[in-house]
Amino acid sequence: MSNHKYAFFLGCIAPNRYPGIEASAIKTSEKVGIELLPLKGASCCPAPGAFGAIDLNIWYAMAARNVVLAEQMGVDITLICNGCYKSIYEVNEKLKHNDELRDGVNEVLKEIDMEFKGTIDVWHLAELYYDPKIVGLKKIADSVTRPLSGVKIAVHYGCHLMKPGKERHFGDTENPMWIEELVEALGAEPVQYRNKMLCCGAGGGVRGFDLVHSLDITNEKMINLQEVGADALTEVCPFCQLQYDRGQIEIEDKFGITWGLPVLHYNELLGLAQGMSPDELALDLHAVNVEPFLKKIL
Amino acid sequence: MAVKKDYKDQVLVEKLRDRKYYIPDSNPEFIKEVEKIGLTPAHMCYQCGTCTGSCPSAPRSSYRIRLFMRKAILGLEDEILTDPDLWLCTTCYSCTDRCPRDLAPTDVIMAMRNLAARRDIVPRNFLKTTQLIYNTGHGVPNNDANRAARLKLGLEADPETTHKYPEFLVGIRKLLDHYGLKEKADRILAEGE
Amino acid sequence: MAELKKKEEPKIGVFVCHCGTNIAGSIDIKAVMEYAKTLPNVAIADDYQYMCSTPGQNKVVEAIEEHKLTGVVVAACSPRLHEPTFRGATKLGGLNPFRFEMANIREQNSWVHMHQPEEATEKAKDAVRIAVAKASLLEDLIPKSVPVEQAAMVVGGGVGGMQAALDLANAGIKTYLIEKEPSIGGRMSQLDKTFPTLDCSQCILTPKMVDVARNENIELLTYTEVEAVEGYIGNFDVTLRKKARGVLTTEEAEARGFVGGGCNGCGDCEDVCPVIRPNPFELGMAPMKAIYVYHPQVSPLLYTIDFDSCVKCNLCVDICGDKKAIDLNAVDEFETVKVGSIILATGYDIFPIEEKHEWGYKNYDNVITSLEFERLICASGPTGGHLIRPSDGAVPKKIAFVLCAGSRDNTGVGKPYCSRFCCMYSLKHAHQIIEKIPGAVPYIFYMDIRSFGKMYEEFYYRIQDEGAKFIRGRVANILEDPVTKNLHVNAEDTLLGRPIDMEVDMVVLAAAVQPSAQTEATRRLFGVSCSQDGWLLEAHPKLNPCGTTTAGVYLAGVCQGPKDIPDTVAQAEGAASAASIPIHRGEVELEPYFAVCLEDICAGCGMCINLCPYQALSLIEKDGRTVMHVTEAKCKGCGTCGGFCPGGAIWMQHFTTPQIVAQIDAFLLGGEQ
Repeated sequence: MSNHKYAFFLGCIAPNRYPGIEASAIKTSEKVGIELLPLKGASCCPAPGAFGAIDLNIWYAMAARNVVLAEQMGVDITLICNGCYKSIYEVNEKLKHNDELRDGVNEVLKEIDMEFKGTIDVWHLAELYYDPKIVGLKKIADSVTRPLSGVKIAVHYGCHLMKPGKERHFGDTENPMWIEELVEALGAEPVQYRNKMLCCGAGGGVRGFDLVHSLDITNEKMINLQEVGADALTEVCPFCQLQYDRGQIEIEDKFGITWGLPVLHYNELLGLAQGMSPDELALDLHAVNVEPFLKKIL
Repeated sequence: MAVKKDYKDQVLVEKLRDRKYYIPDSNPEFIKEVEKIGLTPAHMCYQCGTCTGSCPSAPRSSYRIRLFMRKAILGLEDEILTDPDLWLCTTCYSCTDRCPRDLAPTDVIMAMRNLAARRDIVPRNFLKTTQLIYNTGHGVPNNDANRAARLKLGLEADPETTHKYPEFLVGIRKLLDHYGLKEKADRILAEGE
Repeated sequence: MAELKKKEEPKIGVFVCHCGTNIAGSIDIKAVMEYAKTLPNVAIADDYQYMCSTPGQNKVVEAIEEHKLTGVVVAACSPRLHEPTFRGATKLGGLNPFRFEMANIREQNSWVHMHQPEEATEKAKDAVRIAVAKASLLEDLIPKSVPVEQAAMVVGGGVGGMQAALDLANAGIKTYLIEKEPSIGGRMSQLDKTFPTLDCSQCILTPKMVDVARNENIELLTYTEVEAVEGYIGNFDVTLRKKARGVLTTEEAEARGFVGGGCNGCGDCEDVCPVIRPNPFELGMAPMKAIYVYHPQVSPLLYTIDFDSCVKCNLCVDICGDKKAIDLNAVDEFETVKVGSIILATGYDIFPIEEKHEWGYKNYDNVITSLEFERLICASGPTGGHLIRPSDGAVPKKIAFVLCAGSRDNTGVGKPYCSRFCCMYSLKHAHQIIEKIPGAVPYIFYMDIRSFGKMYEEFYYRIQDEGAKFIRGRVANILEDPVTKNLHVNAEDTLLGRPIDMEVDMVVLAAAVQPSAQTEATRRLFGVSCSQDGWLLEAHPKLNPCGTTTAGVYLAGVCQGPKDIPDTVAQAEGAASAASIPIHRGEVELEPYFAVCLEDICAGCGMCINLCPYQALSLIEKDGRTVMHVTEAKCKGCGTCGGFCPGGAIWMQHFTTPQIVAQIDAFLLGGEQ
């Protein structure tokens, strides 16, 4: 039933820190008619903030290399990380529409016998899940065998998927609701909270440059989430996940505050709802204990 | 040029330092360079403060993106590039989303970081990411604990990336070497030790 | 006129203007003049400091007589400025005024090539050579005069349209005032008070409404829209759609034989009407019936049935009884009227500010627009003038005003222009809450306070003194407290350089204005252009702000661009004056730049007919053949037909094919003809 094939761009944090996100992406997408093909030899996207800050030209070239790998396969790319989305989607679009940039990048790619042609598109797996022409909410709901009923789930959209809005296609960036709809399709109750679109705090290299600064932003989000009694936070970005998950441990360490809010990538939630076991998702690798959440749904 | 004060007491020299803005202190080419890299007409900023009002870093630091925009237009290159606040932007793009002048302040910051990097002003964590990518293809590489976990999930120990196909690293290194990035990272990190 | 005239020996005079240093600063005048003397047909070349001055013009007059000139070329500024001047001089010298040609060596040359004197001089020589080539072929043209219908029309019954209609009517001109709503009054009737005088808006407006209703020269047509327009200056045929109102005036009732019947505004029908729907006059904040008047001071005082919501239960018909004022089977009626000139005063709407998602309008209960504020603070409004929070009816104590909400916005979502009156009415709002609510504090988030009008800056001073707080920063976003429904206004105090999170009870968005919904359709009916932002385009931004490029059609009020009440009224009076000129003169002279059909060549294919943007062309039978015919009064001389005609059978007078070919040849061949 898989008539939609995509090159699966992994990035770094999903495969190398939260392999459950990778495993669930492969298994959950298969159940809704998407086939993920390995994108052999892909690298870091590379990190738009930490890497692009030094030289945007290398960022263009490195991201273009990843795009060209998929161009050579003749399929669109899908991915599961907002940071990767910014690099791969945005560089693909920029190079398609800016001749000067494209020529500059191709000049460099020539050294490794590659050429950016602009023949493919780039998608976040979550938008494919939402898009009724590809999957759609109904198919997602139909794939659920273990509804996540009785839990309140808050959504963190992250920044680099939808912003800047005019260079994307997701509509309202101030109060979007489409991921809530995806959460609802799993049988869970999405909850709204204060300042939903606040950044996780990690991006732009700030997590590495000034950890407590980035954690202070994260902590603000935690305060707002606790206010509405969320049982878990979900997102579609492993880097945001890292910041919220490991960040809670760091917040405990630096600020002496314990939150204990489980953080799960949407693919992990979908995996649970489709019947995958916590072991199949390596949820034990999460820094914040997911057990209290699992108890409510299993 | 600022008035030079040859007071004997260095403390007084600093306390009473001339703080006026002088035209010769500015580099009129700076904003043009910023716009070329950032691909946004930064000189059209009208200083409304929507950017700072949107900024998650502003309330918890002295980072003011509107002030960076102002200084960029005035060409206060040295002041900008040596300011550690330049590295507090989380690139959340809220300012870019809301800017009524349709500018991309985030990309102005990125462009100015690029210009700082040309002067070898780069925080160490940024350079370490570069080194990791050069060595492994990943900014956040695999490790043994994770390999074990992957195997348990039925995944291969290494993902289908440069980790599993290290032969692709040759090309990646060529790209980075083309810009001398690895050499630059090594040099600056070594100087800092 | 169309056939080629017998060749006369052309003798052209060329006059080069210094325009002080405007031209002479970068162009070598003497070189251009000497060059002109070498050109074919040039009998005399001269120069002068200011050709437009009396001595400058006299040079032209004298040269025509002395050298028996057949054509005149002045190389100076744009013909938009001084073509009429030099045509006058040409006429004074005894030539047909259309024997004049202008070479623009200022706007299109010296001003843009200020730092390239040599190239600029060469370009000026080219321009003179081209103008001489055309001047050598110019012909006498006689402008036509047409009689003017002794009536005018004003479209839009807001304060601007009312003022224009009153001025025209008081000048003795029969005036049709067309209003799409059931009552005149427009936006101003929705306002509570007006800045900077704090007059009650209705109090100063209603006398004018009464004047309009009583004026014998005004035929007031409310609940009426323009359906079609034909004709041209002096002779417009305007077809009006009188929308089915379902209620008869006393006159209409009488015409149906119900003497003494018709609507007397008693309101009994409204009481019995079972339909309840949102009241658009109150911006949906109050209910209204299917049979309605907007407010007690409507003019005319006449009920209207909204047939979209009416259930035709007949209760109103029964209660109306012998007055027989209600006709539930009414249908739209059409009427065509003839007028000589027309004023458009179609006003504005509020920009749908919910499209700026960051401020949460329509998402957060307590974020309202300024117009909603006007209704809430107005004694005749839905709350009787008690300002309350929509979420809970509480009286707000801290109120934030967001200026430039959607104005000065280049994102493509909002409007790039300044809406011009928001600063001032927001100051007025601040005053009103300080006055009405003890202890209330207005916080005004602004980028610049634009208090440019008479007594406006003084008003700003007064409001600041009264206790309004000013924060120099544009509001980044607004977040709602889900429990209290209070609002958190995020911005930067740019003067302090500190971000602000201000919790307030209510936010008022000074939303941008945009042309009213009907403006685009209306302007197309009248053939009026609009600028990029949709406002109707004046003929000249400085020197002809009330006119349009369509002769006989004038503009008043905000439809031409955002303006406050004083400016709207001033422009309305200007437009009325301009619109009365052709009517008082009784005839209008049309520029003779018509298309001319060379009937011998015309194949009668008719392809030009639909191309004409002014419906000036038609096919007629002549001498047994089908040929094209130009209605000269409608033709604007745009050249669309002439450029397209496959047989080359259409010439544009004053821009004939030989004239244009001569210009091109002169340019390409360097003067060798």
